[in-house]
Amino acid sequence: MSASTRTCIDDWRAARLFARLLAVILLFAAMALPDRAFAHAALINADPVDGAVLAQSPARFSLSFSEPVSPLVLNLVRPDGTRLVLTSYRLDDQTIEIDNPETLKAGTHVLSWRVISEDGHPVGGSVLFSIGAPSAPPVAGEAVDWDLRSAIWTGKVLLYIGLFFGVGGAFALAWLAEDQRCGRRFVIGAILCGLVAAPMSLGLQGLDALGAPLARLAQPVVWQTAFATSFGWTVLIALIALGLGLLSLAGPRGGRKPLALAGLAGVGAALAASGHASAAEPQWLTRPMVFLHGAGIAFWAGALVPLGLSVRQQSKDAGAFLHRFSRAILPVVAVLAAAGIVLAVIQVQTPAALVNTAYGRLLLVKLVLLLFLFTLATVNRWTLTAPAEAGATEVQRRLARSIGAEVLIVAAIFAVAAGWRFTPPPRALAIAAAQPVSIHIHTLKAMADLSIVPGHAGQVAASMVIMTGDFGPLDAKQVTLVLSKPDSGIEPIKRPATKPGDGTWRVDNLIIPVPGRWTVRLDILVSDFEVVKIEAPIDIRAE
Amino acid sequence: MNKYLLTAGVLFALGTNVALAHVTLETQEAPVGSTYKAVLRLPHGCEGKATTAVRVQIPEGVISVKPMPKPGWTLQTKKGKYEKSYQLYGETLTTGVKEVDWSGGNLPDEFYDEFVFRANLTADLPVGQMLYFPVVQECEGGAAARWIEIPAAGQEEDELENPAPGIKLLPKK
Repeated sequence: MSASTRTCIDDWRAARLFARLLAVILLFAAMALPDRAFAHAALINADPVDGAVLAQSPARFSLSFSEPVSPLVLNLVRPDGTRLVLTSYRLDDQTIEIDNPETLKAGTHVLSWRVISEDGHPVGGSVLFSIGAPSAPPVAGEAVDWDLRSAIWTGKVLLYIGLFFGVGGAFALAWLAEDQRCGRRFVIGAILCGLVAAPMSLGLQGLDALGAPLARLAQPVVWQTAFATSFGWTVLIALIALGLGLLSLAGPRGGRKPLALAGLAGVGAALAASGHASAAEPQWLTRPMVFLHGAGIAFWAGALVPLGLSVRQQSKDAGAFLHRFSRAILPVVAVLAAAGIVLAVIQVQTPAALVNTAYGRLLLVKLVLLLFLFTLATVNRWTLTAPAEAGATEVQRRLARSIGAEVLIVAAIFAVAAGWRFTPPPRALAIAAAQPVSIHIHTLKAMADLSIVPGHAGQVAASMVIMTGDFGPLDAKQVTLVLSKPDSGIEPIKRPATKPGDGTWRVDNLIIPVPGRWTVRLDILVSDFEVVKIEAPIDIRAE
Repeated sequence: MNKYLLTAGVLFALGTNVALAHVTLETQEAPVGSTYKAVLRLPHGCEGKATTAVRVQIPEGVISVKPMPKPGWTLQTKKGKYEKSYQLYGETLTTGVKEVDWSGGNLPDEFYDEFVFRANLTADLPVGQMLYFPVVQECEGGAAARWIEIPAAGQEEDELENPAPGIKLLPKK
């Protein structure tokens, strides 16, 4: 029996390798990757502001975010700890206007929110405010559910295995190996693994979106929520791609190539449908880049296992397989790397962010792994491929081992990339950091909208719109901004504002030395003999 | 001897009461329904710049204002309607001086000067409360010091950076 017709005897070894791979993934899952819960869409303004003390119950609340969001869960926790689910709200671009259905009693309330941002990732937080006077705040926390996180991460890695090793493998078998049977079982196994992981990931996404524990996985609302997120599209397209990959293996000979090609395109499309990189601006660039990156990974990673097994088995057309692969891989890796570099530059922005942020550190780990991978691949391509194609047995063994090592590194890269699910890219962090802090000061005599840009300590600019207490125009003769922080022993910082002519008052080149709660006061000279002073607290973020 | 002690005591008491860096009135209290001689004391210019004009806003309830001319300064008054009518010596007054301006002068920062006007404090002014005369001090180069802050309810005058000079209203004699 020739090697080309019998089932590759090394296939069971591939299954063993697969089992080892799973063990490595579970090991990674056991290690808690990120150490903080980061926000993706950041809350930039709330009304009432966090820490506000209001004289009376507000008619509505509003939350403004750094990007458009849609609310998942909005709760108001009363001072006695009871919870009121807020269901009536309106979306206005990046702001959620929430109706308050009841008159709130005195004490500290918590407005707890959970929203989902454009990139499909849910974010939660709370705003504390008090009616009358502050009381002990009711308990409402956001704890990280590590069980859920590990499950999400594992699901993501398994989905990558299904898409890249599975669908990519099906593509390699159809286009590069022709009638090669080596690696077929492994590829089918990987696709089945993806077919299980895809719906599992969707359910976990729903749980994460709702902030619900693993035990609620069976509830329909979890799945509805998940489908409503952009990750729903990823799972849908991934399932189609996995199905196409499976069909290309099992279907009629004539349909193998187009089915496998469609599957490979599906991998790229599935990844481009959601995630940080796809959500980044400019979309016309990032989504195609993610598509190319994903399809390129599937081409490369998918071919590795069948190729390695084929070379190891020294099957009849291993040489031809190797030849086709090595001819195609250079342009594919070039596109894959170019797309990856473009995305990394967009996401990380500054070299310092590589070290300072969890996202950047994961990227560094990935880059180190890539360095190993490229070294191996270069050796394989330029020193081992030609003699192996010519049929040198010893070289073929070395090549097979080397490809096996490549597969392990690729799997480790999947494990690292899945960790990005929990870390916002520096791009998003920078957007959040650059957001202004804004407050509205309202008194009987005058009111003001004040924004400090950016809303963190350091050099900032302040912009003010001054109105009379009943929303009429107030043509002030002079406005002075006074910032003070008595608890830090900082004397008032006093700056006259200028009038750029657009109806606002501005103070440029203002330095706020330390973050924390400042008192901002505006001295508004209404007429020669009348000054109105209004003040409010403002929270300045750390840089 | 006692006389000297008394004088020293009065000076001490006044010295602690009056924040000398602010624009103040020499006589710090007066009975309602009487004529009051206001002596406005300017201790310095605006952050080192010479004073070129002094403008005083006359509060409601203060009528029949007569400022004292000052050599080297142009004296002007701005008249307007009172919020209500007042009786003075059998006459009904509905309009009168609302602002007194001494302008065109030059008082260097290192010198001191006084600006004087006489006015009638009407009898229905609230006894026991403060009555404020907001003052704008204009200086060379467009600078100004505005002694116009009036403490809000419950606020101490000491908390203000630029308090308006004021007097305490005493019961009618």
